Order: sequence, then C-alpha cells, then structure tokens
Amino acid sequence: MPEKKKPELRRSVTPWGSFAWGYSDVGADIFVGLGLVLGAAAGASNVAFLFAGVVYVCIGLAYTELAAAYPVAGGGQYFVMRGLGDIFGFIAGWAVLLDFTIDITLFAWACVDYLSQLLPVLNTTANPWPHFVVALVLILGLLFLNIIGVRESTAFNGVVSALDIVSETTILTLGFLFAFRPEILIHTMQTSWPSSNDLMLGISLAIVSFVGLESISQAAQETQRPASVIPRTSVALILTILIFALSYSNLALGMQTWHPIPLDAHGHTQALWHWLGNGDNNGKAVALLAQQVPYFGAVAAFYVPVLGAILLLISSNSGVFGSSRIAYAMSSAKLLPSAFQRVHPKFRTPMVSLIAFVGVSVIELFFAALPSLDPAASALYARWFNGESGLGFLADLYAFGAATSYSFVFIALVALRLFDPLSPRKFKMPFNIPVTVRGERAEFPLVAVIGFAGIFAILLFTLKTHPIGRIAGPAWLVAGIIIYLVYRRNKKLPILRSQSHDWRTQQAEILRNAGELELMDEYLANVKASDERRARAAARP
Amino acid sequence: MNAPVHITLTGLVVALAIAFAIGSTIWWMLHPPASFVQKLAAQAETEFERLVGSIMVVFSQDIESGHMMALAAKLARGERSELLAIYVIEVPFTLPPDAEMTAEERTALDALGAAETIAVKNGVNIRTEIVRARVTSQSVLDLAKREKANLIILGSFREGKYTGAPLGRAIETIAANAKCDVLIGVEGKHGTLLVDEFGQAAVPGGNEDRQANV
Repeated sequence: MPEKKKPELRRSVTPWGSFAWGYSDVGADIFVGLGLVLGAAAGASNVAFLFAGVVYVCIGLAYTELAAAYPVAGGGQYFVMRGLGDIFGFIAGWAVLLDFTIDITLFAWACVDYLSQLLPVLNTTANPWPHFVVALVLILGLLFLNIIGVRESTAFNGVVSALDIVSETTILTLGFLFAFRPEILIHTMQTSWPSSNDLMLGISLAIVSFVGLESISQAAQETQRPASVIPRTSVALILTILIFALSYSNLALGMQTWHPIPLDAHGHTQALWHWLGNGDNNGKAVALLAQQVPYFGAVAAFYVPVLGAILLLISSNSGVFGSSRIAYAMSSAKLLPSAFQRVHPKFRTPMVSLIAFVGVSVIELFFAALPSLDPAASALYARWFNGESGLGFLADLYAFGAATSYSFVFIALVALRLFDPLSPRKFKMPFNIPVTVRGERAEFPLVAVIGFAGIFAILLFTLKTHPIGRIAGPAWLVAGIIIYLVYRRNKKLPILRSQSHDWRTQQAEILRNAGELELMDEYLANVKASDERRARAAARP
Repeated sequence: MNAPVHITLTGLVVALAIAFAIGSTIWWMLHPPASFVQKLAAQAETEFERLVGSIMVVFSQDIESGHMMALAAKLARGERSELLAIYVIEVPFTLPPDAEMTAEERTALDALGAAETIAVKNGVNIRTEIVRARVTSQSVLDLAKREKANLIILGSFREGKYTGAPLGRAIETIAANAKCDVLIGVEGKHGTLLVDEFGQAAVPGGNEDRQANV
C-alpha cells in the first residue's frame, strides 16, 4: 500500500500578505501607544519613541534574520528553544503567550475606545459598564468565531492594512504640511520635559507601539519563499511603523491645533499632547489627532475611528489565533501538555487552547475594568498600584511580556550565530565580529548586544515604573514554570535539560518544506564541508 | 472657530519625506529579487512570447497539420500573434509550374477553409495562402523568411500512419534548416514510447484505446 503523505501547509501568503499579517498586529499598536506615551513622557514622548524605536529596529532585525533562517511556525519560542534549550524556549514562549492574551484584551478595549468617538455611550469614564460589556462581547465573539473556524481572510487583512497605511500617511503628511510648527515642538520639549521616572515609564510604554513583529515569523511557514520575502516584509514593517511612531509623536508635540482644545478638569487650557494623553482620550489618541488636521480633519473625524476600530479588532483577533498557534507549537515541542493540541471534532480548531487563553484574557479584562466599575477597587488600585487605569494595567503586562521574550530572542540569536553557523542566513544583522567556535567560523552580532542592552533596560524600566507589571508579569512566568516542571516530570521528560533533537535533519527539512531549495543545497554543502574538515582534523596525528 | 493654517518649510519637507519614505518602502518590499526558479520561469515566458510572435501553420499533400491548427489558434489567441496558414502544392518536375492541379487545389481550399473556421472560432485573425512549389520544404523555408515567422507549426507525415514513421523528409528538412523555432505535432497514436502512469508502455491507438485497456 502506498505511504500516505502528510498534508503540508500550503504556502499561499504573498509579500503583501506577509506584510499585512504583521501590520494588522503592529500597525494597531500606535493607536493605543500614542496616547499612553504622551500621558507618561509628555514633552519627551518623541524621545521615548526614538529610544524604543532604536531597540525595536534591533528586535526587528533579529527577528528578520531568525525567521529567514528558520522559517517555521513558533517564532520567538522556536528560536529560543533551538538556541538556548527547552526550558528557555518555554519561558520565551510563555511570555509571548502573555502578550497574545494581553493583545486580545488591550485591542478589544481600545477598539471600544475608538468606537466611543462615534458612540459616546461607550465612553469608558462616563459609562464604564457598557464599555466593559462591549469589550467582553467582542472578545467572546472572537473566541466563538475562532472555534467555529471563521477567520478574516488574508485579503481582508490586506485591504484594511492598505487603507490604514494610506490613511495614516495622509494624516501625517497633511498634518505636517498644514499644522506643524517647529517652534511649538521645541517649546513643548523645553517646558514639558518629564521626570526621569516618567521618561522611563514613557519608554517602557513606547515599546508597546512596536510589539507584534512576532506575527510575521509566526506566518513564516505559510509564506512563499520565506527566506527572501520575510526579510523584505519585516524591514518594510519596521520602517513603516517607526516612521509612523516618530512622526505621530513629533506632530502631537508640535502641532498647531485646527479646533480649540477643550479645557481640562480644572478649567485650564491644555496642550494637545496633554489632552491626547489624559485618561479619557489616551485610548483614541490617533482619531483625535486626525481631527485636528486642517481641512482633512473633518473627513477623518468620521472614518479614522471606524478604521482604527477595525484594525484594532483584527489585532485583537490575531491575539486569539496567535495564542492558540503558539500553544499548539509549544505542545508539539513537548513544552506544554498535549491537551493544547487537541482539536474540536467537528470544527477542527484547537478548542482547548482557544478557550484557555481567551479565558486568561477575560480575567485580564476583568482586572483592567475593575477600578472603573467599582469605587472600592479603584481605591485599592490607587493605594497599591499608583491608581493605574485599565489601559495602563494592560500596557504594563504587555510591556513586560514583550521585553522578556525579546530579551531571550537576542540571547538566542547570539547562541545560534555561534553554535549553528552552518545554517545559511540570507539576511544578517549588520556589524559582526568574525570568531571561531568549535573549529567553525562564525560571526558575533554586535547589534544583538545593543538590542539586548536596550530591551533589558526597558524590562528594568517596566519593573521599576509599572506597579502591576512587576507583580503580575513575574507571577505569570512563575505559574508557567510550575506547569512546565510538573508536565515534564509527569511525562518523564528531561526537566531542566533539553530533549535530544536532530537539528541537522530538521534544518534541511525546514528549508526544503519552505521551498528554499538553493538554501537547502547551501546548508547541506556547509554540513558536508564541516564534516570533512572535522574528519581531516581527527585523522591528523 | 478654526485656527489659521501655517505652512512652514520644515513641515513641508517632513511631509514630503514621510510620503516618499512610506511609498518607497512599500514599493521596495513588493519587489523582492527573483529566485533561480522564478528567473527560469521568466526566461521561459519571454522565450515563449518571442516564439509565438508570428505563427505559420503548414499544410501540404505530405504534411497533415489539421490537428495542430487548434493548438496554433489557441497559442495565437493567448499571445495575440499573427497567424498564417499555408498549403503547399508540390508541382512535379515533370509538369510546368502553372500546370492545372484541380484535385490538389480543392484539397488545399478545404484544408485552409477548415483552418479559417478554427481561427474564427478562437477569435484570431488569420491569413491563408496557397503556394505552388517544386520542393515543399524549400518553399516553406523561403516563406517563413519572407513572413519573418517566429514559429512554424507542422503536423506529422501523412504517410506516417501506414509506415509508422511520423516524420517525412520534408518535415525533417524544415526542422533542420529553419531559422526560427519549429513545433512538430505527432498524433497520439505514435506515442508508443511513452510510459503511462501505471509504469506500463502506453498502448498504441490514442487515449481511447488506452482507457479501454485500463
């Protein structure tokens, strides 16, 4: 009987599809991040974005190199597992899972904030219950759609991403053209420079605007010619998001407003950045900024909230299927129980993963909404957590998860460069030092060290300035490690060591399955040459 | 009340820089370098376009091209090529060049009429021509040169069905001496050398026989 071939994932994601996949996740971040950073870093918001942006470029380059060299589903978790071993792979994957669950809640929350621009009944301050209920319904609706296997199509993602890029480019271009005043920017930076603590807080929140590159590497297995396409789409995504983040922050600090800004709670006039960063508006800052663009603002007032809400909802959905995908990948790698691979008998979707991680996101939503729903809880938060708002609570955890997983990815990149130099890298981070490790020539990546220093600093800023993040984030990791240890012990798998992997065979298969035949040839030739070198060295007296 | 609009040089430069940077980044992303396989495919496509720029289908007493006409018409339609169908009447050396050859002319008209019908059905413009010549192969080569044909399409040798040899001398001469590409279609029944999907030699007599045998 002929052997039945295992069906493989069809490679249908085009360059634009790959970009849109990442953009629908990262592109939504600025809709949330702008207001939060303006609220924290005030006149230094552009500096906060620049610092986080430099780190983000390093992260992006690291992901680009790794996703092109190892085009498999799993992303950061796989790179860390391969570079540093199972337990670190688990920790990185678990941190990414935290981010995905926050992704679901944070973007559903912000989606309602943007809708409230057109439907004031959804305003979180004035009507916290409708806001909470609608966010909850959106999350449960996404869970339901994902369980029955309905997902937005790549084409839909592509159209929304294209519309958003055109829209944001128009807002920024016309904003700078008609309303930017350099003297206002300088004045704001001079008069509203934050304290060191607030600047650190702003930087750690600014990284929120850059989280989601993971999505492109998650889709690597379905991308056409991933080793060639992913570097391009990743670099394009990095540049696009960086340009938007830096432009928005500078525009918000140096814009001559078109309409008068409402007075603050004490009846005083307030600057645009202050208005955008306050608790009422920080969840919909981009829509409010767009309204202030001369002429175009009248149109933007209607469509930007809708476009923003759609993009945020797509991003929230990417958290739903991203978490189930990564849980599935971790379960396949025996880092999580096999229950996370279980699929629904009828719909063929990973129901256990979906329910488990959407369940976590609902708990997060509850904790985020608690201070606005209950005055007693508000007092508790004010006493213990600096009175953080719902959005701040979610951003705390988001920044913690991202900084943790990215830190590990940088270390894994260095380890893979040194201990797996034979894998061809179609894209390499620049500025490398040639070294010899175990008789093989390798390159030590300087940019990874800079990136690690930057992201580790952001992790420290997060722990220092985010009262919830420094408790809930590590608690999440500890809970995960306990699950991991119990699971590995029950399955009689190595607990702290890694399982044995035949990386050479796997790598050749990965490249063959990716359709990167030239790279596969190069890899096999590298392996052969390395073996011959070793044999010659061993034969030498 | 709306504030007055101030256009500053800095704002203008930044606005243009943003639009340019985003536009060029997206354009660059959408144009990744082609892989080896894609280059091969592009080259083949270019060659194919060149190949079918102008197509000449040849009929004669010895060349049976009826079954190739549909293919020629489809190629011509897909590539918007010019299509020329010629029928060569070979006048023996024993006769004067303008000798009356009623039966052959009648056959030629039928063949070219059928060719025209196929072309019209496929929505392709076609020119037809009856050529009198002493040697079929030389006249086809001359005509291909005159018409600057990119592709000559020929059927198989009319006697092939009896002798088992699908290519006659005229076809071989044309294939050997033409300055352009030549596509020779041999009817399925000659495909006895092919191996079918079950690893057995294909049965002579075309698909119907083959299916009957399966």
